[in-house]
Amino acid sequence: VSLQTYGWIVLVSPLAGCILIALSWRLGPSKLQGYVGTLAIFVSFLASLGALSELQDRGEEERQVVTVAWDYANTVGVDAQLSLLLDPLSVFMALVVSGVSALIHLYSVSYMASDRGYTRFFSYLNFFVFSMLLLVLAGNFFFLIVGWAFVGAASYLLISFWYRRTTATAAGIKAFVINVVGDVGLVLGTYFIFKHTGSLDFLRAFEAAPEFGRNDGDLVAGCLLVLVGAFAKSAQVPLHTWLPDAMEGPTPVSALIHAATMVTAGVYLIARMHPFYEQAPVAADVGAILGCATLLIAATIGLVVTDLKRVIAYSTMSQIGYMVMGVSSAAYAAGLFHLMTHAFFKALLFMAAGSVIAAMAGEQNLDKMGGFRRAMPFTFGAMVIGGLALAGVPPFSGFFSKDEIIALVIAREDWHVVLGVLGFVGSLLTAIYTWRMIFRAFFNEPVEPARELEHGHLYHAPEPFNPATGEVEDSDVGFPGPEHHIAEREWSMKVAMGLLAVGAIFAGVLQIPKVTDVLHTFLEPSFHDSRFYEELEPSDGLTWFGLATGAVLALGGIALAYRLWVRERARPAAIRARLAGVHSFFVHKWYFDELIDTLFVRPFAWLGRFARDVFERVVINGLIVGGPTGAVRAGSAAVRAVQSGFLRYYAALLLFGVTGLALYFLIAAS
Amino acid sequence: MNIEWYLVVSALVFAIGAGGILVRRNPLVILLCLELMLNAANLALVAFARAHGNQDGQIFALIVMVVAACEVAVGLGLIVAIYRRKLPIDVDELRELQG
Repeated sequence: VSLQTYGWIVLVSPLAGCILIALSWRLGPSKLQGYVGTLAIFVSFLASLGALSELQDRGEEERQVVTVAWDYANTVGVDAQLSLLLDPLSVFMALVVSGVSALIHLYSVSYMASDRGYTRFFSYLNFFVFSMLLLVLAGNFFFLIVGWAFVGAASYLLISFWYRRTTATAAGIKAFVINVVGDVGLVLGTYFIFKHTGSLDFLRAFEAAPEFGRNDGDLVAGCLLVLVGAFAKSAQVPLHTWLPDAMEGPTPVSALIHAATMVTAGVYLIARMHPFYEQAPVAADVGAILGCATLLIAATIGLVVTDLKRVIAYSTMSQIGYMVMGVSSAAYAAGLFHLMTHAFFKALLFMAAGSVIAAMAGEQNLDKMGGFRRAMPFTFGAMVIGGLALAGVPPFSGFFSKDEIIALVIAREDWHVVLGVLGFVGSLLTAIYTWRMIFRAFFNEPVEPARELEHGHLYHAPEPFNPATGEVEDSDVGFPGPEHHIAEREWSMKVAMGLLAVGAIFAGVLQIPKVTDVLHTFLEPSFHDSRFYEELEPSDGLTWFGLATGAVLALGGIALAYRLWVRERARPAAIRARLAGVHSFFVHKWYFDELIDTLFVRPFAWLGRFARDVFERVVINGLIVGGPTGAVRAGSAAVRAVQSGFLRYYAALLLFGVTGLALYFLIAAS
Repeated sequence: MNIEWYLVVSALVFAIGAGGILVRRNPLVILLCLELMLNAANLALVAFARAHGNQDGQIFALIVMVVAACEVAVGLGLIVAIYRRKLPIDVDELRELQG
């Protein structure tokens, strides 16, 4: 089987799964649909592996293969072809996406088992994976945008999956609207680039990139607009507010879309567009700075959020901030390496969180959790592994990937050093908030559900409720459904979490500084035209300093979290009381929602109301439509009065009318 | 011959017919009045034809009679239909066409 065929199998298999499952809705929910969905993604993963081995068989120079299915449109200089670009970068992304997705599908087979929308769920999930693979495999801007928009739509469908829950539909709309802002940015950015390169095809456009002047105005505009798209998708400041709200979706969705795959699309995009960003360093600098800002802002919010899933959501934002900072500072391999390790441990953390939420019968508030350590040993183990990897404790995967980003950013020198140092601050915060979450959920005195579970009884809420508002709701819709499922009792959840845990522990060996360089070497052909790829290398001293600092900060953060939330549990409240202003600032998420509300939502809503009340109702409806219709109506009312229905009136009218006319002509004639 | 008297009779008959249409409510009577009006016109046509020595008016009168026969057939048909549907045989009651 050739490389091209593998590429198409990767793409077609989830699409076929989506359609097949959707067509089977009449059969009612059955686990078979879940297994079909999982199989479809697994086939995709195997095909990605096939593509990988085919790719490695080729020579260094021939590892960028474009395959065209057909010309969608080829006219007036636009070459919109359905083409895939198979190179190390896209195959790497396909492997991560399909691999993690397959495990999350497997997890969902049990986790979602009692949901009424089981069929719909797997159909959407397969559709999402198809869109994401289209996004990463697309060989030109045209299909990149198509995949980009599909991913946004799939995300909307899955966030609003429990569509009778108003908070979920509102969150879905918010995510969709912000993603559309990103789509518009991407389309306009593509226009600016296309205007000069004259080709939508990636490879030809990249070849034309050096023809731009350095920091050429159009190129900077194009890159910044593409950055808007990347930031909306990857939940970077200031387009990040949708991600925490997206936690309204089912937990596997949070794991798949809002942690492991979709939100990393922006990182992929910046890495893919590196020839342009290297030619427009101003745009790349904007990306690096905002990525750094995001990682700090999200980490501080993560410190105070009490919702279990939202803590992980903010940590996702923060970690993607690292990746964006990395790829924008030309640390491509490091950024993508972190993307991969993050996909493993973040999906694992979400799965463990899902298991805890199931044990709490849908409750997500950390204040009401505690002491699950003995009741849920497997989940606890998974959470600890994920937490250690996220905090960056050696030798877990996150340790190597995060520190490589920071070391390479510092190696860029000048003001990038500041970003690197802030990255270290972020690592400390990461360790603290991650372990705050783990200590609060798993340590201290067991809460009621945990005690019941220790006696082998799974807690059920007296009434189903919305975890966000506490509102009582219909049991047929939304978590936990009639039954809920924890990892300790479901083999498929165990397998999925176990495999991810292996990845979270050992993925780091791919890129151990000064020892292994697998990923960097593998991705090299995709970045052969990069100015920095080979040259950017931290000095030995910097490498060791970075690793040591990272390890110390991670362990220190964990120790601090242990002290604050296990040993001296009165302290956090005291600190909170002392820093009430800062605390409320963080709890309100730096007032970003309010800011966006004031700057955009309310003026637009006012404009909309003005247009409706004044323009639409008065001008259009009153004057333009109302004027002529009013005249016609008045005229017809007058004429209508004549139509009395009495025959004699008609006859009289006729008679006297004709007589009158005849008299007139007679008199006029004489 | 003098044509005036024919025309006076014609006008009188026409006026009687028109008055009948305006004041009567029974559709049958209205139909009869309509016939009066048509025939008044016929009288005038024939009189003028005679006065001018031109046959066109007479031919025209014949055609009017044919039309009148058709019209009576339709009108009587309507009246029978109204009767069969047990609707009031009164044109003032049948006023659904009002605006």
